[in-house]
Amino acid sequence: MDFMIRAATPEDCKDISRMIMELAVYENMPDQVKISHEVLEQDGFCKNPFFHCLVAEVAEQYRTTEGYTVIGYALFFYTYSTWKGRSVYMEDLYVMPEFRGEFPGKGVGTALMSKVAQVGKEQQCVRLQFSVLNWNTPSLDFYKAKGAQDLTDSEGWHVLRFDGEALDKLAQMAPKN
Amino acid sequence: MVYTIRVATLEDCKDIYRMIMELAKHEKVSDQVKIAQRDLEQDGFSKNPFFQSIIAEVPEQHRSKDGHSKVGYALYFFAYSSWKGRSVYMEDLYVMPEYRGKGIGKALMSKIAQLGLAAGCNQLNFAVLNWNKESMDFYLSQGCWDVTTGLDYHCMRCEGPALEALARGDPKN
Repeated sequence: MDFMIRAATPEDCKDISRMIMELAVYENMPDQVKISHEVLEQDGFCKNPFFHCLVAEVAEQYRTTEGYTVIGYALFFYTYSTWKGRSVYMEDLYVMPEFRGEFPGKGVGTALMSKVAQVGKEQQCVRLQFSVLNWNTPSLDFYKAKGAQDLTDSEGWHVLRFDGEALDKLAQMAPKN
Repeated sequence: MVYTIRVATLEDCKDIYRMIMELAKHEKVSDQVKIAQRDLEQDGFSKNPFFQSIIAEVPEQHRSKDGHSKVGYALYFFAYSSWKGRSVYMEDLYVMPEYRGKGIGKALMSKIAQLGLAAGCNQLNFAVLNWNKESMDFYLSQGCWDVTTGLDYHCMRCEGPALEALARGDPKN
């Protein structure tokens, strides 16, 4: 089956939003999705976008029963390491279930991730980072087969977060100079 | 002690680099720092910067024995959650040892939170080594939560030969 990987356009945001929800359902956290396709359009396609996105598209004859031809996406943005320099962070990688696994290592997911790495390389990025749920064995296997290291297991890295009231409270402490 | 927190300028890169090296030297990993001061200047102060930075500065009379008045920094960038939207990521937070215990670290972190909220962000994320009990306890006491423990997310990385191989792989365009 043929597919192509291309940069997302604002018009793709409805499909991307649909697939974000599908991914959240897969991760057992559908109630956590708070942003709409309009927010994606604003944040990804403004003058200084907060993210970049690639989509995987199949030809008309392979469209799903609901009529979708955009069947996968990767959402990423640039980050920085004060030791190593420019990096890229892959926030989401998703392929609709019926389009997975046809050619291990050569399929849609691999192509999307490869393209993120390539785009990053063009910007002189030396790292590609992302997160995986610890119980998500198919994904962990997929990433480890590509040479990814688990920094939480190997080095003990944990991500901490301020949000909601705690974030407001923290901001209020800022010096007023 | 009086100090100010302000946005970093190109001229501050010399001091930011000095402090990056101080931290690496203290952790006995100076050889791990692969970027030069010039990279900070290009990557932080060009048209599409990869990061933002804020500096903690003390007045002349409180400068260090080596004559430094820039005594702390925080480096951050804007990130994105496909579930929650705009977020800010704090990559580095550092205060020179002799200036700790005066609230400078908290003030730097607070400023990032403020700048993040002003930019429409609703999360401030950062990473801590789980065996660094002192830091962990400090941050948790400030009201943040551990996403790795709480939601079971693991941080993953591709670099070096693995990243090269991945980039060379051939998308079917």
